[in-house]
Amino acid sequence: MRLLRRLLRDPVTGVALVLAAAIILAALLAPWIAPGDPAENDLSLAMQPPGEGLLLGADDQGRDMVTRLLYGTRLTLVIGAVSVGLGGGIGAALGLLAGFYRRLDGVIMRCMDVLLSFPAILFGLAIAAIFGPGVLAVVLALSVATVPLTARIVRASASVEMGRDYIEAARAVGMGDRRLIWRHLAPNCMSALVVFATLRFGQVILLGAALSFLGLGAQAPTAELGSMASQGRTFLFFAPHIAVVPCAAIFIVVLVFNVLGDALRDALDPRLGF
Amino acid sequence: MRRLLMAVPVLLGVLLVGFLLMQVVPTDPATVRAGPMATADVVAAIRSDLGLDRPLAVQFALYLGRLLQGDLGVSIINNIPVAQELGNTVGPTLELMLASLVWSVPLGIAAGTVAAYRRGRWLDRLVMAASVGAVSVPVFFLGLVLIWFVGFRWQLLPFTGRGGPLWTRDGLLAIILPAVTLGGVFVGPVARMTRTAVLDVLGAEHVRTARAKGLPERTVVVRHALRNAMIPVVTLIGLQIGFLLGGAVVTETIFSWPGVGRLAVGAILSSDFPMAQGTILVLAGGFIAVNLAVDLIYSWLDPRVRA
Repeated sequence: MRLLRRLLRDPVTGVALVLAAAIILAALLAPWIAPGDPAENDLSLAMQPPGEGLLLGADDQGRDMVTRLLYGTRLTLVIGAVSVGLGGGIGAALGLLAGFYRRLDGVIMRCMDVLLSFPAILFGLAIAAIFGPGVLAVVLALSVATVPLTARIVRASASVEMGRDYIEAARAVGMGDRRLIWRHLAPNCMSALVVFATLRFGQVILLGAALSFLGLGAQAPTAELGSMASQGRTFLFFAPHIAVVPCAAIFIVVLVFNVLGDALRDALDPRLGF
Repeated sequence: MRRLLMAVPVLLGVLLVGFLLMQVVPTDPATVRAGPMATADVVAAIRSDLGLDRPLAVQFALYLGRLLQGDLGVSIINNIPVAQELGNTVGPTLELMLASLVWSVPLGIAAGTVAAYRRGRWLDRLVMAASVGAVSVPVFFLGLVLIWFVGFRWQLLPFTGRGGPLWTRDGLLAIILPAVTLGGVFVGPVARMTRTAVLDVLGAEHVRTARAKGLPERTVVVRHALRNAMIPVVTLIGLQIGFLLGGAVVTETIFSWPGVGRLAVGAILSSDFPMAQGTILVLAGGFIAVNLAVDLIYSWLDPRVRA
């Protein structure tokens, strides 16, 4: 609660918080609040500009853009959340282990260095080449790219915590390793992890959208913001709104989470250097 | 030195991925090479010729041998040697990345320095707000907006393909929009990194000393603060080259720029496995090389890290 109050002191952060909640809610409720079905088309409406009857117009197939936008945001957010959850979870576990067990530290972190040697886009290209383009390939690529970054950050805060007295005290009373890690070490590494995950969520959405835009992600007719933008690119000169609507949506979602991540970092620990 | 040793397992990993990529291919390379009319005997002969009947470890060794000779195979789609196609596309990609860095890095460093120096004032807030906005824009959004306004509406600049060598008028005009797009997403991160680095240095003792001995403020910032702040900035820029590479793939696709990224995407989408493999190897290899170079520059700038 104190954290929330501190966050709300800055009006920009307040707006970002409200927007983030609204975006997540709209994505969750897409099937109930969307005016139609994302695949339902009426060719007589094809490329209709925003305004007359349809709030955001229709795409080249005559599908309602509001509906597509809601469902597209939903899938984009799911891709981002699953990737950050999966990659962040594995990375955090590895980071904790590396910070806790000195013998594992070298091995784990060298492996992470190897993974860090590749940009996410390369994972995306390679995984799409091996498994074929699709949502799964994107999620896999983004997760793999998230693991080493998370491991590094969690390990850094775990190493700091390991030098504190409470670890020594817990050891002295004979606490087992597993309990020590989960009950004492992990909770104290959480603030770094939360800040990182929020910032990473925005980055992952941007990367995922880029992969989908290239055609390596969600395939037509599935509504996903990146692939919608790619589809709109074809009709850029006739009906720019088909591309602009999903592009603007991606921009807003990423901006909101970046602002939120920055604010969280400043509120939780301004010294975190990322 | 440690980084140099690190590059070996990384490189092997990349090669292994490239090799595996060719293993999971649903089509049999021998059948493809033999053509649709070939008899089973011919296919078998080609199979043993290519070493496809040997154990995987031997095949990997053969694969490495072929790579060393520059043989990356032949495109399934148009029978052009992969190495030849790569040779044609590496240049344009480097050209695009350099053209983007040339303007975005100086601008980012300048903006970050000004922001740090005016910490907390409106100019700082403006720069920081702009940079958060800039890191949140999808590359393709920026590209499409530029194409729509500058290319289509105002008809000022070309927006499809490369116009020729950079020293010609056409070549120069054609690279402007792609370079503005790719550099545009790079200014934000550079500005942010520079601001953090300069803030750190401005609080350092040698800066206080410089001020105390009465040096003009300009000299303090440019000669003493900025110079030391450049060390982390150079490293971070190096680390961000991967980010730039990702942007380059998208930028090339939007502007039909004949680079490796566009080639890679096309190959993957058309299931041209040898071509996909070749492009991924080149992109990964290039990235490793850049990282190594950055490390060398880093240890040259800052003797303390030479361990």
